[in-house]
Amino acid sequence: MRDVYAAGIGVTTFGRLEYPLAEIAAYPAMMAMQDSGISTVDQVYVANMGGARLNHQTALASAVVDTLSLTPAGAATIENGPASGAAAIKEGFLAVASGMHDVVLVTGAERMREVNALDATDFVATLTHPIAEYIYGVTLPAHAAMFTRLYMDKYGVTDRHLAMVGVKNQNNAMRNEFAHLQQPITIDGVLDSPEAFTNNPFVAEPLRFFDCCPVSDGGACIMLVSAEVMEGLDRPAVRLAGVGQATDSHTVAEREDPTELPAVRLAADQSFEMAKLGPSDVDVAELHDAFTILEIAESEEVGFFAKGEGHFALEKGETELGGAMPINVSGGLKGRGHPVGATGIAQAYEIVHQLRGEAGDRQVADARVGFTCNFGGFGNNVLALTFVREG
Amino acid sequence: MERNIYAYQCRSCDTVHYPFRMRCKGCGQNDFFEFDPVALPTHGRLLTFTFVHNLPAEYDVARLGLGVVELDNGIRLLGQLDIVEPVMGMEVNGRVSVVRHETYDDFFGMVFTAA
Amino acid sequence: MSVDLEKTLRPVESPMVPYPAKYMMLASGETMVIRQATRDEIPTLLEHVEPLMHVERDYYDCVASRVYSELLGWYRYRVQDEYVLVAQIDGELAAIVNGRQVTPKLGMSLHTLALRRGLRVGAHAFAAKMEYHIDILGHDEVLVVAESPIGFRRWMIEYQLAERFETPHELGGVPSYALTRELFERARSKLIVGRRPVPADLLAKAEAAILPPSDPPTPPMDALAATRAAYDATGTALIQQRRRQERGVDHA
Repeated sequence: MRDVYAAGIGVTTFGRLEYPLAEIAAYPAMMAMQDSGISTVDQVYVANMGGARLNHQTALASAVVDTLSLTPAGAATIENGPASGAAAIKEGFLAVASGMHDVVLVTGAERMREVNALDATDFVATLTHPIAEYIYGVTLPAHAAMFTRLYMDKYGVTDRHLAMVGVKNQNNAMRNEFAHLQQPITIDGVLDSPEAFTNNPFVAEPLRFFDCCPVSDGGACIMLVSAEVMEGLDRPAVRLAGVGQATDSHTVAEREDPTELPAVRLAADQSFEMAKLGPSDVDVAELHDAFTILEIAESEEVGFFAKGEGHFALEKGETELGGAMPINVSGGLKGRGHPVGATGIAQAYEIVHQLRGEAGDRQVADARVGFTCNFGGFGNNVLALTFVREG
Repeated sequence: MERNIYAYQCRSCDTVHYPFRMRCKGCGQNDFFEFDPVALPTHGRLLTFTFVHNLPAEYDVARLGLGVVELDNGIRLLGQLDIVEPVMGMEVNGRVSVVRHETYDDFFGMVFTAA
Repeated sequence: MSVDLEKTLRPVESPMVPYPAKYMMLASGETMVIRQATRDEIPTLLEHVEPLMHVERDYYDCVASRVYSELLGWYRYRVQDEYVLVAQIDGELAAIVNGRQVTPKLGMSLHTLALRRGLRVGAHAFAAKMEYHIDILGHDEVLVVAESPIGFRRWMIEYQLAERFETPHELGGVPSYALTRELFERARSKLIVGRRPVPADLLAKAEAAILPPSDPPTPPMDALAATRAAYDATGTALIQQRRRQERGVDHA
């Protein structure tokens, strides 16, 4: 397999976008092409989950490759639930690593705010099992809530820990000009004040409003190239060194241990093994915090902290920007937003941005190894990516 | 009319699956229709639960109780809870009732009450 | 004589107990004051509401236009027994809620307009309105309608409002729901939030002036704009341009 490099990145502001879906995918692709200076592309992958159901647009990649005037390059749409982004990156990685292509554009987009919040919740719930889960009215927050209750019972995680993750990430997003939420919050306001119950109502008990990521529109892109192409560019060399993916039972109730996320662990192991690195080598990470509990659980499963001890590291401030293991300095899904198809690529955007040393006032000092975890379904389809700065 | 929820037992290795799988996860047998339907027991233990406030449009209640129950045969089932104050580990009984209504269709699933 | 004519045109105002101001902490840690607006503050409110009449999403245009007419109608003494409550954060307008007293026992909720988003300001303001009707004015029930699906979910479904479909609501006769005293008592702990009395300096700042909101909802971009690249409501293109300038790179 050949080495694969990230030559260009792009991202839109996350929030409410009024552009058609194909343009939300094309916009960051144009930025990535400007960033790398390359406009000849062999293959385009487009990550998206809701185009057909929310935006009346199927075969999105065909629309995107044309609006970018990149025809006759091959194009394919990748739908893998909330892990569509990283799944598309994996496809792009394979295309270059195999030697089949030299320049691949991987872009992701979602336009969820075209429908109201009730329909957006229902749309995300369609990833659940149709007979064993969906018909009961289960939503992703409901799954996360039941998982949280078990975690609280087994490891002593409290709603204060959850609030700490939410506050950290939403405040981190203040340093990210593309983030959906540009509103700092305090523990006082969301948990301690007499009005906290109205400020931070339950979404699915025990998870509250500020424990859940917002519904966002947005797009992100990464351009993957071969070593030869990268050599010809005057940009810092960031290599996609490790890609891992694993699946688990579709029905959450069927999981062997309901407090474990084995797909996260396996995907991370695979990714580190390919990169010939370990969790202790990672300088900066983007973990999929659609719900605050997930940042804590994933930080343990990928190996940053021992199982059941993620919340202690959080208490000690280790996951803050200046801490030993900065997690979600971009704001994560909680602060930056979660356009489902684009998120996996937005995480990669942030890591490449950090490893290039261009992240400004949210730069993690001396970042050489970065890691992302893109969590699909409720832990039944997970991808992990490891990036390394060279030179 | 009493309804049941059916699990699927592999004819080769007796592994019970809920929900249905095309290929047995126990022995990997690959023959179509080599599963026998077996009615699920209705008694079990509540493993975890939540009350969902942000519901899809079909549900016009303020909040919906959901929980995962480990039934007496070891199968774990997600169901709705008709329990005012659920407690993890409590014993519950299930009954198949309407759990979702969409336009003209009713969908049936397990609703649990305290045992 | 025109003075007598004016007497005929004006509704007779019933005595209504004024709303005692209260304050609360928001998720951001900021303090918000909810107080009753006076008639002479209406012109200022109209200035802040007017831009929202052109925001064609989330029913802002619809609600803002109706609020504008209700405020103006009351200001000019053509609407009977209307009240207006304002929510302010550091003096800036965060929300307007209004309603009417129909009879000494029946209230009519009109609108809730939130100008600051992401902090559940609307929820606080709506609750204050319900408190005013039931606890302070002594109404036995309040008629409520919703314009948006989210409003419907948050109020009608969450509080399990009683149906009053046979009673047309003033806002165009759509099916009314009612918050009864019984429902109110059941939800009291959720509905009555906030603290009294408001500290003197906080209240003085709020009463001194109703400042314009610093981050109000803005109209969406015009999807038919020919020069779409130049018009970017989200600011993405500008941010990217600034970044490139900082790096000293120009890919033009």
